[in-house]
Amino acid sequence: MRTQYRLGASLLAIGMVLALAACGRSEDGGGASAGAQASEVDTSAASGEIDVWAMGAEGENLGVLADAFMEEFPDVTVNVTPVPWDAAHDRIVNAIAGGEVPDVTMVGTTWMGEFAALGGLDPVPANIDSSQFFEGAWNTTIVEGTSYAVPWYVETRLLYYRTDLAADGGVTEAPATWDDLKAAAAAMQEAGAEYGISLQPGGTGAWQTFMPFFWQAGGEILGEDGSFTLDGAPCVDALTFYDSFFEEGLTPPAAADVPVEGQFANGEVGSFISGPWMIGIVTDAGAEPDSWTVAHQPTEEAGTSFVGGANLAVLADADNKEAGWAFVEYLSRPEIQVTWYETVSALPSVQSAWDDEALSGDELLSAFGEQLSDAKAPPSIPTWEQVAAEIDAVIEQVTVGDTTPEDGCAAMQEAAAGIGTGQ
Amino acid sequence: MTGRTDALGAGSPAPRAGGSRSRDALIGWSFAAPFVILFLVFMAGPILVALVTSFTDLRVTDIRNPLAIEFIGIENYLAVLGDERFQKAAANTAVFVLVGVPLTMVLGLAAAVGVNQGFARLRTVFRVGFYLPVVTSIVAIAVVWRLLLGTDVGLINATLSITGIDGPGWLSDERYALWSIIAMAAWRNLGFLMVIFLAGLQTIPRDLYEAAEMDGANRWQRFRGITVPLLRPTLLFAAVITGIGYVQFFEEVFVMTQGGPLNSTLSLALYAYRQFSFGNYGHTAATAFVLFVAIAALTFAQFRAFRSET
Repeated sequence: MRTQYRLGASLLAIGMVLALAACGRSEDGGGASAGAQASEVDTSAASGEIDVWAMGAEGENLGVLADAFMEEFPDVTVNVTPVPWDAAHDRIVNAIAGGEVPDVTMVGTTWMGEFAALGGLDPVPANIDSSQFFEGAWNTTIVEGTSYAVPWYVETRLLYYRTDLAADGGVTEAPATWDDLKAAAAAMQEAGAEYGISLQPGGTGAWQTFMPFFWQAGGEILGEDGSFTLDGAPCVDALTFYDSFFEEGLTPPAAADVPVEGQFANGEVGSFISGPWMIGIVTDAGAEPDSWTVAHQPTEEAGTSFVGGANLAVLADADNKEAGWAFVEYLSRPEIQVTWYETVSALPSVQSAWDDEALSGDELLSAFGEQLSDAKAPPSIPTWEQVAAEIDAVIEQVTVGDTTPEDGCAAMQEAAAGIGTGQ
Repeated sequence: MTGRTDALGAGSPAPRAGGSRSRDALIGWSFAAPFVILFLVFMAGPILVALVTSFTDLRVTDIRNPLAIEFIGIENYLAVLGDERFQKAAANTAVFVLVGVPLTMVLGLAAAVGVNQGFARLRTVFRVGFYLPVVTSIVAIAVVWRLLLGTDVGLINATLSITGIDGPGWLSDERYALWSIIAMAAWRNLGFLMVIFLAGLQTIPRDLYEAAEMDGANRWQRFRGITVPLLRPTLLFAAVITGIGYVQFFEEVFVMTQGGPLNSTLSLALYAYRQFSFGNYGHTAATAFVLFVAIAALTFAQFRAFRSET
């Protein structure tokens, strides 16, 4: 029984963080100062070596782009280190704390606030044009008015639905409003699906499915004054709507044991909301290509979806920022973004890359491209992950438990206000 | 266990003359030094740092900026104890320990007595069988138990449905999830206790049983009158080890339920882990010390309980 060492291990981790804190540089004071001055960086004269960290399939395949980059910039050597997603967050925090950092790292969009507040990221040079990126994606890089990274690739959430089941139930058009969505789910259930839609009943990441409804109802996570505004009418409307699928038996009452793609392919589940990676997964699960499609999020006040993905940041303590930014700039070129899409199926964050035949020629992908111009990310605040966990918990209390949407929204607001924005 | 160390202490050789005693001490310390140094650097030091941390507002965003860290007294402890989620986690952990420890011990003892007495030929098979879960990766166990406990496709519910019973969501229903986890933990750990108990059973002289049998004591009377009292030190050891492990139960819920549904399987260790991953180091350290006090209190109570019965 190794359990008695766990307490020691967690205390040890705290101790090490403190020890690292003692070694950390203090002259720059840490913390993101509002409106930190972004200087221009001359990337044409880039030379020397850079270390790049990237996670998942990106880390394994980035070497392809690094080789092409080194052909164009023969004076630069790029060393790519793949980092597992599970370990990436802590590893980057430790690197920043210790001052021993890579030059460039991939950063999950929801980590931006934390890393910038740590003082670990270099502000984006002024000569990088922010307008070439999707606005929602660019906003994920901004912490207290300063951009600390460049969007690398994006993803957004659409409605996947079985057109054949919908047609059987008399629905021939993609749902345009909340009422349409509800009607479509009911129709598909009528037409033989066990459940018309599969929504997440709380649990990690449920907020990514829920927050689009909140935005669609006109909600904003932070108000003008920078404090949380989760308890207004938009939240109650969105949570009531979300819960109504559970109340009316249109969605499974608990998280299913089996993956949704299989249920979708065999018609047990009529629809679900997810990201672009599900295109391949649904196809592999055996869904007939002409039996399903993807649709824009329904529109009430807005038709907003969630935007996620990953950014590329140059570290504040990097030894070779010039070459680092040169590499980031290279990865942001439209043609390189298309190559990257063809390599790992990561959707381009640069809008003009979507004009390429590889993307615009694909009907399903175009739908994602369209949604990306109306997609939002949560604010880049260091406490977001904790606030998100509270939102996940409330969603579960409302959908599975017997909390009312009104009480749920009040609880969300209270918890979020208690945690604060960390600023 | 304790009895044996006492005997060793009493029988230790008388101290020798001064010179060689200090030389002995030097040799002794040099043998102990690697452990002592490692312990001080990697256990005592961090524990001390964590104790200090628990009285500060240290967050992940402060680690490059130590000047921003402030001492806030016992505020973290008040926040921890006042947190509804912590109270829920504490209640879950209490149930897990109070039900899980006796359950695992009874099952482990039953397995040990069974393997020790009956089925002489199959003894090795059973010993390996019971011990296998202890050395199996928790992730592999989780996969198998998910297949067992699944609501729609689980083996248990599939079997129940043959008899017309509509089985509940063993892991997705808040009324059953914690009990499912307890069952899994007991199954996983009983093999370890079985081995401990087997070792204890081997030390009980056979003639005691033979004498009792001659006096006409039946199986149960022999178990109650001989096995249990003579196994008491082993039972205490098992209770303490299992208790310490169960107060910190984490892996089971981390891989199976993530604390859900509705926090019904949230454990204290998982609660602390979450706070740590949110970067709230002061809060985490305070939780860890509350947990430490709980473990110390439980262990103390166990020692008292076992001693008072003698």
